[in-house]
Amino acid sequence: MLPRIALFIPCFVDQMCPQVGVDMVRVLRRIGCEVFFPEKQTCCGQPAFNTGYWEDARVVAERFLRVFDKAEAVVGPSGSCVAMVRKFYPELLPSPSGLTKFYEFSEFLTNVARIEDVGAAFAHRVTLHDSCHALRELGVHDGPRQLLKRVRGLELVEMDHADDCCGFGGTFSVKFGMISAAMGDTKTENAAATGAEFVTSVDPSCLMHLDGVLRKKKSPMQAVHLASILAREARA
Amino acid sequence: MSEIANPSRARILRRIGTALRDKTSLPTATITPLFAPVTNSLQRFVEECKANITETIVTRDGAESGARLRLVLAGIPEGEVFAEDTPEIRQLLQGFDGNLRWSSDGPPAESSRATITRCHALVALTGSVVTSSACGGRGASVVAPVHVVIARQSQIVPDLESALKLVADEGLPQKASYVGLITGCSRTGDIEKQLVIGAHGPQRVVVILEVNS
Amino acid sequence: MTTAAQEFLRWATEKSADLKHRRILRKNIDHYDHSLLKILPTYSNYEVARERSATIRHDAVEHLDQYLLQFEAKIQERGGHVFWAETAEEARAYVVSLARERGVKRIVKSKSMVTEEIHLTPALEKIGCRVWETDLGEWIVQLRNEPPYHIVAPAMHLSRVEIAELFREKLGGITSDDPKELVEAARLALRGAFFSAEMGISGANFLVADAGLVAITTNEGNGRLCTTLPKIHVVVTGIEKVIAHLSDLAVLWPTLTTAATGRMLATYKTMIGGPRGPDEVDGPEEFHVVLLDNGRSELLADTEQRDVLRCIRCAACLNVCPVYQQVGGHAYGTTYQGPIGSVLTPHLRGPEFDHLSYASSLCGKCTSVCPVKIDLHHHLLQNRRNTVRKGRRPLSERMAFRGWRWLMMGSGRYAWLSKLGLRAIRVLSGMGANPLKKWTEYRAAPEFPEKSFREMWRDGDV
Repeated sequence: MLPRIALFIPCFVDQMCPQVGVDMVRVLRRIGCEVFFPEKQTCCGQPAFNTGYWEDARVVAERFLRVFDKAEAVVGPSGSCVAMVRKFYPELLPSPSGLTKFYEFSEFLTNVARIEDVGAAFAHRVTLHDSCHALRELGVHDGPRQLLKRVRGLELVEMDHADDCCGFGGTFSVKFGMISAAMGDTKTENAAATGAEFVTSVDPSCLMHLDGVLRKKKSPMQAVHLASILAREARA
Repeated sequence: MSEIANPSRARILRRIGTALRDKTSLPTATITPLFAPVTNSLQRFVEECKANITETIVTRDGAESGARLRLVLAGIPEGEVFAEDTPEIRQLLQGFDGNLRWSSDGPPAESSRATITRCHALVALTGSVVTSSACGGRGASVVAPVHVVIARQSQIVPDLESALKLVADEGLPQKASYVGLITGCSRTGDIEKQLVIGAHGPQRVVVILEVNS
Repeated sequence: MTTAAQEFLRWATEKSADLKHRRILRKNIDHYDHSLLKILPTYSNYEVARERSATIRHDAVEHLDQYLLQFEAKIQERGGHVFWAETAEEARAYVVSLARERGVKRIVKSKSMVTEEIHLTPALEKIGCRVWETDLGEWIVQLRNEPPYHIVAPAMHLSRVEIAELFREKLGGITSDDPKELVEAARLALRGAFFSAEMGISGANFLVADAGLVAITTNEGNGRLCTTLPKIHVVVTGIEKVIAHLSDLAVLWPTLTTAATGRMLATYKTMIGGPRGPDEVDGPEEFHVVLLDNGRSELLADTEQRDVLRCIRCAACLNVCPVYQQVGGHAYGTTYQGPIGSVLTPHLRGPEFDHLSYASSLCGKCTSVCPVKIDLHHHLLQNRRNTVRKGRRPLSERMAFRGWRWLMMGSGRYAWLSKLGLRAIRVLSGMGANPLKKWTEYRAAPEFPEKSFREMWRDGDV
């Protein structure tokens, strides 16, 4: 029996790339989950935490946990935001509880729902970028690959240095924009070298940054979130 | 320089002591060996030497060791050969008529072509030689382009733990002001990471290893 | 006068755009990665090596005074001198007066980051000493009059062609850029220095407490010659380098060599216990160990970051750092570079280097490879937090986060003001202004959706 899922839609997904959230919902419903959206949610606090404003982050984090207090399971399409909750809230808050019910989308599918084939079709060559928080804080590595391999028509290719940082890093992307861009350039070069048409990841912040880099250099390759790939339904 | 006053010493120690009143802890480590146990020490030693470019010459007795040593010396350019003064090495060099300097007469000259020393042990895991300043001095194992080590199979220890235990058990740090491991020849990768053999130390390390019958 | 932060941005801008530089660093680091891939299967489980190394170094740091005193007693028993220096100035003064009193004119140095930290060479040159770096990479950057580019590979940023040109200019007689020829030229040029120097200066990888030994590692043999031929040997080391037992080296030696260069052991694992013994053939007549504090005892008192003192200077964190790979070593503008440098430098040199803790995307790869398990990226976060708590952030940023906090404490105001904000950005962009300038300097502008997720949910579009 799959739990009723509270949707965790990170603030910038809500405002800048809501389609990622929509696609995630589509997939969750397709596999038989009931989902709802706690409208009181705002932000997990990561921007303040990462910039060193821990007192401000703490207050927002406490509110965030209150919003999801009654939920059984919380699923979000962002490795970095879920990592903030599961891995960094213990540094920020005194003995926080109920953190283990927060899941990054792909790990919910593979580890909780135990599903790899979500009935998707996406006939393109795709390469996966391992986003840092998902990989190193949450241990997400094999799951997205297993999910992508079951997508009909999808050819998954591995890029060199798939686990190297894309260069986003939150406010780093504007504070040290030149370094962020160079890292993005290196990452997109590695992705393009595979001949892939799409680069995907479980982190919309990485993808927003890579998308900006790709379009600036007028690359034919596109950045697409894992949820958006999985949302493309296979016809019977 | 007379014993210099060092008031900072007390201040530093005091600050350290105060700092360490607050303890920090670490999860207990898994104390298992780093490497798989060495099963055939002699074979492993010879293999590792091949990999780190140490030449090994396996002999059956002192006579053969002496002959092979003189062959090595015959193959290097004319010049001074420096040897650690021990009865064994004197025996091995009987009949050698080249320019020879013994450690009892002083350290090797800058222009030495080769040095010959004993060793304390050989390490199978890494193909290393354990030496010290008691083996003909500090310079003996590094000053000349060729370093020959006279060793026996019984000196082979399996790994670094046993090598360091031997160093401690034999009281080497008390007896010798320098103790060290030598693994292969002098080398550098500082230019485009390309390996070049023979920087400031020997370009050839030769171990003449007498094995048990 | 530019600040360190401004200098960093200048370097970062230049190097980030330098594709040749990027390729050179990538090539060197790929070589290291490849070596690591080959050596790691030799370990039963490299994680065990990391755990055990962390434990050994943790124990050493937790009992620092005890082990330092044990080490000192043994060195003194054998006729060596131990001097404790609180500051860089004190350490320099000791070595300089020693050189002056002994009439030292020629000095050979093996690699030591601590001697860079205290700027020892210029102080010795000032009293008329000639100082030769003898590690090939260090000597190359010395000839170029620049600081080391990397903790382990000082000349990593240079091609063979550049090195050949340098040698041609400084030494003459170079016919090609073949590394073999270049190394031979270096060997010949430095041999005279080794044999004529009156003082050899080295660092220390480890100070062994129970046996009273200074452990020094090199591949080239320069460390051996520096500690054999001159009549005075001086070791300059940080106090944190001490370890409890000789047997600890069985774990630390391979782990350090593997993390640093992807090999099992470096060629020369040297251990020095004192000046030459009374019956010894050769060796220095005098042996001095300078133990440097220079901010380390303060870091020890910071229990949150005490683990930083475990560092064995392998530079694995530099090799994997995506920021280092773009900006290179000189950009940091200080002795210790990369993640460890960013964490450590504010403690050693103060708030002028706070910016280094912000120049990171917090990818965490450094933490995952550190052989002594230092929590590097968490320390970067803590450094940022400390900077904020000390009120050292710009007012505009403090106000921005106050605003952010207010905004995020109410979903109504958050939703409404975000919508307003995005609309404003769209209007301003339409008018030709560039409100997202800092983003769009390097990336195409993002597309703005018609509705937010919550609006779509509310409208039943989801």
